[in-house]
Amino acid sequence: MQLLGNIVDYLLGMGASVFVPIIIIIAGLLVGMKFKDAVSSGVTLGVAFTGMSLLIGFMIGIISPAAEAMLESTGVSLPIIDGGWTTMATISWSWPYAFLMFPLMIVINVVMLVINKTNTFNADLWNVWGKIFTAIAVAGITKSIALAFLVAAVQIIFELKAADAHQNRIEKLSGIPGVTCTHKMIFFGAILYPFDAFLKRFSFFDRKFDAEALKDKIGIFAENHVIGFILGCLFGVVARYSVSEILVLGVQAATALTLFPVITKYFMQALAPISEAVSAFMNKKFEGRTLIVGLDWPFLGGSNEIWLAVIFTVPITLIFSMFLPGNQILPFAGIINIPIAVAAFLVTGGNLLRMFVLCVIGVPAFLWIGTAFAPYMTELANLTGAVSLQAGELISNSAIDGPVFSYAMSHVFMIKDGNFIPLLVLIAWIIGFVMYYRDLMKEAREDEAEELIEEISAE
Amino acid sequence: MKTVIVACGSGVATSQTVASKVTRLLKENKVNAKVEAVDLKSVDRYMDSSAAYIAITKVKKEYPIPVINGIAFLTGMGEKEELKKLIDALK
Repeated sequence: MQLLGNIVDYLLGMGASVFVPIIIIIAGLLVGMKFKDAVSSGVTLGVAFTGMSLLIGFMIGIISPAAEAMLESTGVSLPIIDGGWTTMATISWSWPYAFLMFPLMIVINVVMLVINKTNTFNADLWNVWGKIFTAIAVAGITKSIALAFLVAAVQIIFELKAADAHQNRIEKLSGIPGVTCTHKMIFFGAILYPFDAFLKRFSFFDRKFDAEALKDKIGIFAENHVIGFILGCLFGVVARYSVSEILVLGVQAATALTLFPVITKYFMQALAPISEAVSAFMNKKFEGRTLIVGLDWPFLGGSNEIWLAVIFTVPITLIFSMFLPGNQILPFAGIINIPIAVAAFLVTGGNLLRMFVLCVIGVPAFLWIGTAFAPYMTELANLTGAVSLQAGELISNSAIDGPVFSYAMSHVFMIKDGNFIPLLVLIAWIIGFVMYYRDLMKEAREDEAEELIEEISAE
Repeated sequence: MKTVIVACGSGVATSQTVASKVTRLLKENKVNAKVEAVDLKSVDRYMDSSAAYIAITKVKKEYPIPVINGIAFLTGMGEKEELKKLIDALK
């Protein structure tokens, strides 16, 4: 154990941009990659880490002074920098135990399939980082790596169950058969479901919109460079910068938000061969059985309602961030809140007005939980050097996927300090999840029965 | 060299996974092409410069270039057919 500890310390000392590539090279060789391809993957991963580190440093350099100036002009203190999901993914992958999450997820998925507790094969190996993210908070709170993996295992099981339940509705909404979404973001549906059940009673919301025409008009506001420029200028105005300073901040903010996805692509490129090897293994293992394939959310991106809800949520988030008691995060890179929009889209079945109301109800949860996660993400970033922060600087995300689940499953351990609130939140989430799950399964059965009747009457 | 674009909602995660896989498959089939992951919202801007569009979302619009079903590369179902369509489009 002592030796292992020393090795881990030595690797950590080199920083994430070196030790994570070493791990992926070893992992690549284990799944049968050629040596030169494995090394290429590893170096690409190092580039991704270093690139993100540069970019996050650039973002902090422009946003921190603006946040301080805004504090002076408005008296509102929002010291936590919002790095969005790309920053959270970078920090998560730098966790020394991160890569152990791959075998854990595969083993649990295989077992669940073999004992027929799921029909879903989770092919989304990228979002393994979502499990790592929750695990990091558990490890931060309990100091126990075993508990961190236990909670991650629970998350993996819930993701498969949620994916099973959503398959029918996702097929109806997206028109794509045989796939579902295994992303943690769909967990927020458990919180939105009771609210939506209430809203459904009012026929007021049942209006049809031409979402496509609307999105063609305002869709540009969901593009990273545009929203970045607007936010930068807005911060500059509130901070009482001069006109030239405002415009410079606008362009700098646009640069940060435009480049985040560009750099994040290198993570995907590096992880793709491992992901493919796992898919090939699963397809071979379950040959002859039709599995539902669990994917990341972007295949739903063809639905215009999601983009409209995302754009609608931007000003709502900004307003809440200024006035919501307990919020300490200044929304920036997480402002394109896909997790809230996708969850609302799936819960309402694409009813735009109810999605808007649910987004308003949901935003505070994202801000509070973004605030709650800042210490753990900052601590790990400092430990692994994935992100360089000055003393006292805090980093988090205003759009954490499945925020309530992530918070409750990790902070529940605060019960040891007499804090029962996360436990109550967890119970509420589970109740919501069970209700939502049953409703989705019922709908799937009804749709199946209907199809059967149609088939019989057609004969 | 001809360019193929792949698009998903984020322009990062899913599209890059498919782009990496398609790059490898084309290489194995000795087809020389560049596969680029782009943001779904900017697909129209790439139509003139691309030979094919691999879509991960359901496509409702008509496009001037062949549209390939990208889900096939994620699930493996129908992958061979879609790859053949792509190779034909690149000839």
